[in-house]
Amino acid sequence: MIESLTLAQLAYPEPMSASVLAPYLFVSTAMFAIGLVGFLTRKNMIIMFLCTELMFQAAGLALIAFGRHHLGADGQTFVIFVLCVAAAEAAMALALVVLLFRHRESLSASAWKELNG
Amino acid sequence: MMTASLLNTLASPIAMLAPEAGGGHAGGNASAHLEHLVSHVGHGPKWVLLIPFLPFLAFVLNALYAAFGVKSKLPAWTTVALLAVAFATALNMFLNFDGTPYTVQAFEWFNLHYGDKHFVANFSFYVDKLTILWMLFVTGLATLIALYASEYMSHDIGTGYNRFFAAFSLFVVSMSCLVMGDNLIMLYLGWEGVGLCSYLLIGYFYKKPSAVAAAKKAFIVNRIGDLGLALGVYLTFVHFGTVQYSELFQNAQLHHYIDMAAGGDFSHIPGTAQWIALLLMVGAFGKSAQFPLYVWLPDAMEGPTPVSALIHAATMVTAGVYLIARMYPLFLVSEHALPIVAWIGTITALLAATIGMAQFDIKRIMAYSTVSQLGYMFAGLGLLTTTGAAFHVLTHAFFKALLFLACGAVMHGFAGQLDLRKLSGVAWMKGWGIVGVTMLVGCMNLAGLPYITSGFYSKDMILAEAFITPGYAAIGWILVFTAILTAYYTFRVYFRVFVGPQHAEPGDDHHGDDDHGHGHDDHGHDHHGHGFHPHAPGWAINTVLVILACASMLAISLAYIQKEESHGWVGSMVAQSTASFHSPYAEAAHHAHVEHTEMHAVAGPVGTATPGTVFGMDAHQGMILVSGIGAIFGVLLAAYLHGPKGWQGLFLGGREHADKCRMDAIAKRAGPLPKWAENKWYVDEFYHMVLVLPLRIISHIFHWVDKLLIDGLVNVFGFLPRVFAWIIRPSQSGVLQGYAVSMAGGLVVILFVVLIIVTRAGGAS
Amino acid sequence: MSPESLMLLSLIFVPVIVAVLIGFARNEKRAYHAALACSILLCIPAVRLLAAFDFKQGATAQFEHSVSWVAGLGLEFSIGTDAVSFLLILLTVLLGPIVVLASKTAIKTDRKMYYAWLTVLQGAMVGVFAAQDLLLFYICFEFTLLPMFILIRKYGSTNRIAASTKFFLYTFTGSMMTLAGLVYVVWFVAQDGQLGRWTLDIAVLTHYAGNMSMTEQGWVLAAMLAGFAVKVPLFPVHTWLPLAHTEAPTAGSVILAGVLLKLGTYGFYRFAIPLAPEAFFEYAPAIAVLSIIGIIYAGLICWVQDDIKKLVAYSSVSHLGFCILGLAALNVTGLSGSILYMLSHGFSTGGLFLMIGFMYERYHTRDMNTVGGLASKMPVWATFMVFFAMASVGLPGLNGFPSELLCLISAFQSDAAWNAAGEPGAWGASLGPWFAVFAGTGMVIAAMYLLYMVGKICFGPYREPADYHPHDELPTDLSLREIATLTPLAIGCILFGLQPTLLLDAVSEPVNNTVRLVERANGIESSSAPNLYESVNDHAEDHGEEHNDHGGASHD
Repeated sequence: MIESLTLAQLAYPEPMSASVLAPYLFVSTAMFAIGLVGFLTRKNMIIMFLCTELMFQAAGLALIAFGRHHLGADGQTFVIFVLCVAAAEAAMALALVVLLFRHRESLSASAWKELNG
Repeated sequence: MMTASLLNTLASPIAMLAPEAGGGHAGGNASAHLEHLVSHVGHGPKWVLLIPFLPFLAFVLNALYAAFGVKSKLPAWTTVALLAVAFATALNMFLNFDGTPYTVQAFEWFNLHYGDKHFVANFSFYVDKLTILWMLFVTGLATLIALYASEYMSHDIGTGYNRFFAAFSLFVVSMSCLVMGDNLIMLYLGWEGVGLCSYLLIGYFYKKPSAVAAAKKAFIVNRIGDLGLALGVYLTFVHFGTVQYSELFQNAQLHHYIDMAAGGDFSHIPGTAQWIALLLMVGAFGKSAQFPLYVWLPDAMEGPTPVSALIHAATMVTAGVYLIARMYPLFLVSEHALPIVAWIGTITALLAATIGMAQFDIKRIMAYSTVSQLGYMFAGLGLLTTTGAAFHVLTHAFFKALLFLACGAVMHGFAGQLDLRKLSGVAWMKGWGIVGVTMLVGCMNLAGLPYITSGFYSKDMILAEAFITPGYAAIGWILVFTAILTAYYTFRVYFRVFVGPQHAEPGDDHHGDDDHGHGHDDHGHDHHGHGFHPHAPGWAINTVLVILACASMLAISLAYIQKEESHGWVGSMVAQSTASFHSPYAEAAHHAHVEHTEMHAVAGPVGTATPGTVFGMDAHQGMILVSGIGAIFGVLLAAYLHGPKGWQGLFLGGREHADKCRMDAIAKRAGPLPKWAENKWYVDEFYHMVLVLPLRIISHIFHWVDKLLIDGLVNVFGFLPRVFAWIIRPSQSGVLQGYAVSMAGGLVVILFVVLIIVTRAGGAS
Repeated sequence: MSPESLMLLSLIFVPVIVAVLIGFARNEKRAYHAALACSILLCIPAVRLLAAFDFKQGATAQFEHSVSWVAGLGLEFSIGTDAVSFLLILLTVLLGPIVVLASKTAIKTDRKMYYAWLTVLQGAMVGVFAAQDLLLFYICFEFTLLPMFILIRKYGSTNRIAASTKFFLYTFTGSMMTLAGLVYVVWFVAQDGQLGRWTLDIAVLTHYAGNMSMTEQGWVLAAMLAGFAVKVPLFPVHTWLPLAHTEAPTAGSVILAGVLLKLGTYGFYRFAIPLAPEAFFEYAPAIAVLSIIGIIYAGLICWVQDDIKKLVAYSSVSHLGFCILGLAALNVTGLSGSILYMLSHGFSTGGLFLMIGFMYERYHTRDMNTVGGLASKMPVWATFMVFFAMASVGLPGLNGFPSELLCLISAFQSDAAWNAAGEPGAWGASLGPWFAVFAGTGMVIAAMYLLYMVGKICFGPYREPADYHPHDELPTDLSLREIATLTPLAIGCILFGLQPTLLLDAVSEPVNNTVRLVERANGIESSSAPNLYESVNDHAEDHGEEHNDHGGASHD
């Protein structure tokens, strides 16, 4: 049944056990929580942006970990996508922040509430 | 409840024949007679189509004149010429008629097939003797009145003149469709068509709000009747499966019903068949101005006088009589229809006569007398003497047209003056002799002076029938009383206006609306000074008056031509149509009267029926005595109360001025009655309060309900999303982190739910 | 593709293409001429199709052509017409030049847009009638909303914003529910027990839809009524119409009265009855009651209007009540009368709207208290006004009468109890004489409000608004162009009045088909009821003989 083995199975024939997986997930969760709390509590848009990056990476870490756990390549593929998107997004977001700063001379997110109902 | 109990006391005259007539013999004959009459309906010659077509041609030409702005008497001559040819055609139709009814088809109109049934109503014409009778006087009078109108309407030469003659000829087209149509849908077409022309012609002086209101009233009141007619027609189709006369009157079912009715057994005739007559009757009441739908006719006098003469006296208003006469077999099978017709006719005759007595506008008096005389015709129909009704239609057409045209001549000559208190001695004025004499002829006929007038004979035929038919003597006495009133109010007009000291105040000229204001100047009228010269009628008016006066007198002979057959010429015409019904009582009375031994082929069981009597005399002879004395009494009363001094007032009168007479003193002492009568017993006001006003209020309520409630509900539905949005609107704070919190919160909730589901599922498995 | 199908197709697509050209053209002034030329030229294929149409086979779709789109889902684009839809197409094409002509002086701003949308509307309306599959039908049905919305929104009078919004949202909401109903039918037919594959072909759907249970049919009927009844409009969902009619430009009102309202009645005829035959039969009396309430209620409201256009708008609600009554009667007379009404109503009411439009251009008011007595100033106008009013009243010999007559007769006939009693008639739903009597009062009410209108606007002393000044381009009375606009309608009124048989024959096949379908679905043998009359007749005969014997005996 060699043909039916995936690439990941060839490289790591042994699946990662659940006990090994746990610390990865713990780190990932912690990163996500820090990012989330940071995003909700800080007003500085750059900090908030960094927090979103943190959450992104937390998700990426979880994906890789699970990919290894299930011996699938999907997780890694997704992470590579996420990295690309995050890079593009970082460029866009920083440009936006600069633009917004020029309008209000402030980095505070609460300076912008035009969309209130 | 009242109507129900009233209905129970009204037994159909046909039902009352049965027991005494000795069983179903009469009935069997009744349907056999009908079958015999319509069994061979053939195809007639195409030239019959000329009768409706020629007036239609006149209509088209007049419309073209109107479009091209012709300003001459051309429309009048076109109309007179084409109508005269139509009359000649009708005459030819009469002379060539061999007794077998025939149909002539112009083109296909309705033809709907479904299953094995069909709804057929073609644009085709049915000719039997009833049709011929009606068409003869319709086309004849139309020709004469068009000639009269050529002079009468000459104030309005131009647009108005063209318009008048266009509507006039369209009226004749519609009338011929009504009378000659071979099916009920054609009749309905003509029925509505004459209504339209009546509307257009009453509203001829369209700038006058009263004329517009009168036109509208006429049309709408007629429409109420038309609704009855329409439903009756539809019910006829639904019940008998046809609306064509030739098929309808051959319908075996109908023959069964007639036989049952003649046997006095109405309980086995289905209700729907009995309803047909009641519905048709409503239509007839509307068109022929019977109580309670008579209110439009007096107001219709807003139209030019030739219109009043032709449409609202002689022809159109007799359409109801025609309808009932034509549909007589259907009326015979309805238990209550004929008694109702008789009683409504009687009530109308009396009511209108009382109102007519108190009016001062001579044209309105004539209008009420028309309503009253139509009441006589309906009473005649209800009393099983279609011949009497048809004869009265015929004589009335002549003398009433004559009376209206004479009044019209006065109105035309005295700048629209119609108040009998402001005119006196008109007959003695220069150039008015012919009008005076012809008016006298008309009045004598309307009053029914014995032996010398045709109106007397036709009225007598109806009155006698009331006494002949058992159970209807009350109607007879009411009608006799009405005849006295008729003689009184007729000669009231004559004694006030046409004889006595000469006096005339001009009216405020009817024709003087802005378009045709030159009417005043052309004739040099001076309205307010003593220099007023009445404008004596010209040759056209005088000729027509003389012809009509002669016709009214000569119509007596119609009671004697072919007398041996039945009731004279008219009787023979009616006998050979679907309107014929031979009351055994009438036959018996007829026999006793002329001692004629040979029976008519279709007569009932003579010898078994006992005709009613008047003071123990034969009804006809008794009636000649009673109604003759009544008429003379009425005339003498009018002479005493309104006549001028000297021989002109038959040495009874004492009037010296136009506006003072003995009646004034009596009227003063009579309390409010004369006032009430003058105000038409406040029937119009009553209708307004009871019908129009509530309906108007309901309409306004509907309007507001529509605006507020129904549309409001729609708007509420439209408003709901808006309210909902308004409620959730504050949740959009616009603060970035606010959204983030709700996102995070939402995520938590979702995860929690998922967790619960997963654990539950895990637990279950 | 046969040349006839191509011509039919051209009636849909040529207007759309011309509209795009008009919309993108540079020259504002040519728009009118382009639209006029297009609408007149479209009459040529229409007349050719009339010559080619075989009315003997009127029940089957002709000039058919279909193009498959997504075969697996049964999506296709297919056109063709049976006799009923063909006559409605002719009506639509005929109204085209009339509405364009009537707009010449009335529309002064942004003509390009106006004529472009007007032309598109033509194509969409033909599309509704020519559709043989639900997809095309529904697209066109909804697409008629947009041009009309813009015509009212942009070219209407003072209250146009509210009117156009209500028009759009009201009818759109309704037709969404219709869509749901139609989709359910499609899903039902695609089930294994039925056809077993997806199809949108109307004929196929009609064939299988009768298999739905009574409950299903009830819901489908309710869904379809939601859309079509609003469109007709049936009481109580009519309130958008007076508003839309009043605010729309003249051409919009004419199209609305002439064709757009007929989309509703056409929907009843084509979908509601055949797709839910048992439910429609069951609920027909209720529908008839609503239509009769509409006849009386809207008629009385007309009677107290001051705004002449609102009066005529409400009269449409009243008149179309007769149309629905005929449909609810579910017999040959009723369906024929109803279809006749669909075709002829636009002539008289459209004529009245044109008359009002011509008056409005001159006097800039619709208030009958401000303007009136026009017969002395505008005799030609007044003559046409009286003519169209009389046609609307239902005067025999003009267009309203034949259809009213048939609808009322059908209500009489459509009485199961009556027919069971064995009196001649035709089967149908359980209406009855009372339905006819109450609907008949509509005749009297129509006379009341229309004569009230004519009496005020045409007759009486002349009244004009205080700021009246003669129109720059138009004569006091009607111009030749305006007379040319009215003449076809007037001729139509007379033709419909005097030759209804032509149309009755033309639609007889499809009508009989539909009636048979309903009868089969409801287990009725044939259109002629079992003749129980015999028993009554026998009894009568016995009775008669008895009497005759008796009479004979006494004679002896």
